[in-house]
Amino acid sequence: MATQDEVRDEVRLAVPATPEFLRLARITASGLASRMGFSYNEVEDLRLAIDELCFVLIGSRGRSGTVHIRYAVRAHVLEVVGVGHFDDDQTDPMLASFSRQILSALVDDYAVYRDEEGRAAFSLVKRRQTAPDHR
Amino acid sequence: MTFDAAQRDELRRKFAEFAETRSPKTRDELIEAHLGLAEYLARRFSNRGEPLDDLTQVASVGLLKAVDRFDPERGVEFSTYATHTIVGELKRHFRDKGWAVRAPRRMQELYLRLGRIVSTLSQELGRSPTIPELATEAQVSEEEVLEALEAGQAYRFASLDAPSPGEDDGDTLSAQLGEEDSGMLDAEHRVALSPLLAQLPMREQVILHLRFFEGLTQSGIAERLGISQMHVSRLLARSLAQLRSAAEAT
Repeated sequence: MATQDEVRDEVRLAVPATPEFLRLARITASGLASRMGFSYNEVEDLRLAIDELCFVLIGSRGRSGTVHIRYAVRAHVLEVVGVGHFDDDQTDPMLASFSRQILSALVDDYAVYRDEEGRAAFSLVKRRQTAPDHR
Repeated sequence: MTFDAAQRDELRRKFAEFAETRSPKTRDELIEAHLGLAEYLARRFSNRGEPLDDLTQVASVGLLKAVDRFDPERGVEFSTYATHTIVGELKRHFRDKGWAVRAPRRMQELYLRLGRIVSTLSQELGRSPTIPELATEAQVSEEEVLEALEAGQAYRFASLDAPSPGEDDGDTLSAQLGEEDSGMLDAEHRVALSPLLAQLPMREQVILHLRFFEGLTQSGIAERLGISQMHVSRLLARSLAQLRSAAEAT
């Protein structure tokens, strides 16, 4: 039996670090969330949160390089981690206070940081509220 | 757009004059006289998910180029020449916008239909429906629902004066947001909001406030404001995108 916290499925995606490819990051997230029985409300929140966090990495114009995104599916939880692989990686990823306000309303947990290899990264955790028998 | 014979003669005379003098005043008059053409062509492109205002702007740039480059000696009617230039400008605009605006019509239609289904199902179930529930109701696959929600993204920058998905035609959001809601963000709330936020239209501030400061869900806001949840979703995404670019510019 899989425990609650165990990662049941994992999906990895690497896309060019430009806004037009964010679509794929959102579709993948909403596809997985939908499989997990998330409600439409929750899927919409997830999509907005991914936009907000990816913006921290690539801005509105994009950057040269790629973003690697890992989706980990747990029993009731979807975790998304994005890591920037940029050609120039000078500035630290930072969240404005309004972004933090937004994200705390959209997801259960989030972070923006540099990973152990010093790459700009974000993570988010979204817990399903809808009871599974609504599937 | 049609001119009578006298107007056409007058315009020909002005083009000849402009070719000679390059006078800014004549140029303005020529542009002014043909704005109707630019507006007409912009409207022909307006069902592709781009706001008409933006398209009119793009078409006007095309018109400007046409006036500047038109050579009356060539024997081509200006309207023919300008139509070509303006349509070229509009097409380039769509091309530059990338694939977001090229969402297949079928998906755009499904998106609009989903808007109504979300409203109905949310009421029936008393909660936000799941994607499989939406798919069953719409009689399409889950993938198609997700694809349509993405296609809706292309609408996100559409004009607020456009009819909102899932609502009866004619009622614009500005008409739906009453006085009461406009007053809601007075004094104390505003102070808490970032100055960037204050630059957004009031109704978008209200929606952002309800979602992120009051913690209402999208469906809750839709109910409170009497608009469709999809419109709330669209406005939220749009305002956030605007805030991001504004933040970036500072």
